[in-house]
Amino acid sequence: MTDTAKSPRPLPQPWQLTEPFWEAARNGKLMIQYDPVVKKYQFYPRSISIFTGRKNLEWREVSGKGALYSFTDIHVAPPGFEDLAPYMIGVIELDEGVRMMTPLQGVTMDDAVLGMRMKICWQKLSDEITSPAFEPDR
Amino acid sequence: MKNPLLDREIAIIGYAETKIARRSGKTAYELAGDIMDQIAERTGVIPADIDGLATVQTHSEAANPFWAPFLGDHLGLQLSWTQTSGNGGASPAGNVARAAAAIQAGLCEMVLCCNADAANTRQRSDQRSYRTDFVEPVGLQGPPSYFGFIMRRYMEKHDLNFDALGKLAVEQRKGALTNPNICETFNKPITLDDYLTSRMVAAPLRLLDAVMRCDGANGLLITTTERARNMGITKMVHPIAFAELTNFDVHNQTPDVTETGFSVVGPSVFEKAGMTHGDIRMAHLYDDFHIATMMQLEQIGFCDRGGGSDFLLNTDISPTGTLPINTGGGQISSGQPGLAGGGVQLIEAVRQMFGEAHGRQVPDPSTALVSGIGCINYVRNWSVSAGLILERSA
Repeated sequence: MTDTAKSPRPLPQPWQLTEPFWEAARNGKLMIQYDPVVKKYQFYPRSISIFTGRKNLEWREVSGKGALYSFTDIHVAPPGFEDLAPYMIGVIELDEGVRMMTPLQGVTMDDAVLGMRMKICWQKLSDEITSPAFEPDR
Repeated sequence: MKNPLLDREIAIIGYAETKIARRSGKTAYELAGDIMDQIAERTGVIPADIDGLATVQTHSEAANPFWAPFLGDHLGLQLSWTQTSGNGGASPAGNVARAAAAIQAGLCEMVLCCNADAANTRQRSDQRSYRTDFVEPVGLQGPPSYFGFIMRRYMEKHDLNFDALGKLAVEQRKGALTNPNICETFNKPITLDDYLTSRMVAAPLRLLDAVMRCDGANGLLITTTERARNMGITKMVHPIAFAELTNFDVHNQTPDVTETGFSVVGPSVFEKAGMTHGDIRMAHLYDDFHIATMMQLEQIGFCDRGGGSDFLLNTDISPTGTLPINTGGGQISSGQPGLAGGGVQLIEAVRQMFGEAHGRQVPDPSTALVSGIGCINYVRNWSVSAGLILERSA
């Protein structure tokens, strides 16, 4: 354990099931899975609808708006994030009825309030990966 | 629902536990060998007497898809039944019920439940699915971050008095100081102030709210009560009820994260035992985080929702109190031996019921509730909730 070189920040590793999400994200669109039978969204992406067990899912663009369901301020960071700490992570409840966990921008422990309105912003992490984050919708 | 455990035909006749350590440099096999050695010494049972093996998925040996056969071979076991449970911290308690069911189904007669993980020496687990796309890239620092979210929601819904969590921290540490198996890191007293001012990890969760990952092993020997009597065994503990739930409220995409599977498991395990919480002499509750212990007290039914702070502050939870909790230190003041961690609570409960918890013995340890928690679902709460009720043999 003499190697003191820092680990790189882990990037999403799109695979067949999640590629539609990341391809849309590259174009600044938030797309999530929708079951047209029960008329419900689901997140994270799965191979079937958790409601019907069937594969007839659609990818739909959603508003990128929602409310702050919970948040935490990370002081002890995992490998690749040490230089960012402390930093805020939130759980956003999208208006479409699913929750996502993302980094938070433009908000601190002092002014974050549960239920506050949030909107999506994007973080370009590499040529291939643009990743969602959320900021206050003021 | 039929509960064959109520016949008290199944008996735990021996227990074992290694010292918990940071970076022991050992493998899970060596740690499991320590368990076999202790079981053989205490019960007189040799490997050839054992025909069932129940073990747990580990961090350190996760890359081996043949874990139970390898482990059994290492220990010299010819087996007619094996079980490898992947329910994380809920596996050890769950394996007691699985072993009992296997014995009652006639699949085997003498089961070694062996939980060993050198998780702090070697980490080989690789949890695909959503984690690589939607968790790790966000900068989540594992379970503490999730519990930061959960604590925040709990605080929004209920009054959380940090003095109550601090009392848990201080009382468990007192117990740990009488337990020779704890990790040496924890071999010093702490005060309420130490808890309240400990380093922030994932706000509002602090360092002394959380477990530390270590290496270690624990185990039980389980057979029929009849065979135990024929062997001349006098100390035994009966598992009399078990309930488990995985992926609570899974179809709800916007659940209340302060509700967990224990809201089902708690009432269920009491109904199966024909008991109420008042019949439980001591509680050995899975403590990856102190807030989890408080939530379990509420959802299992020892107090009302949101009443956890008052309950803890107004209840003597010491070994001589009205509801002793995690008398040996729990995992937070013993160290968490990786995915064998659920065994810390289980072994302490059995050790108490054998009357061998020196320096912290609960008087009349007639019944115990042991819980297990495993894994965490994406932006939800823990995946697996397990509750086991034990009764000392008359």
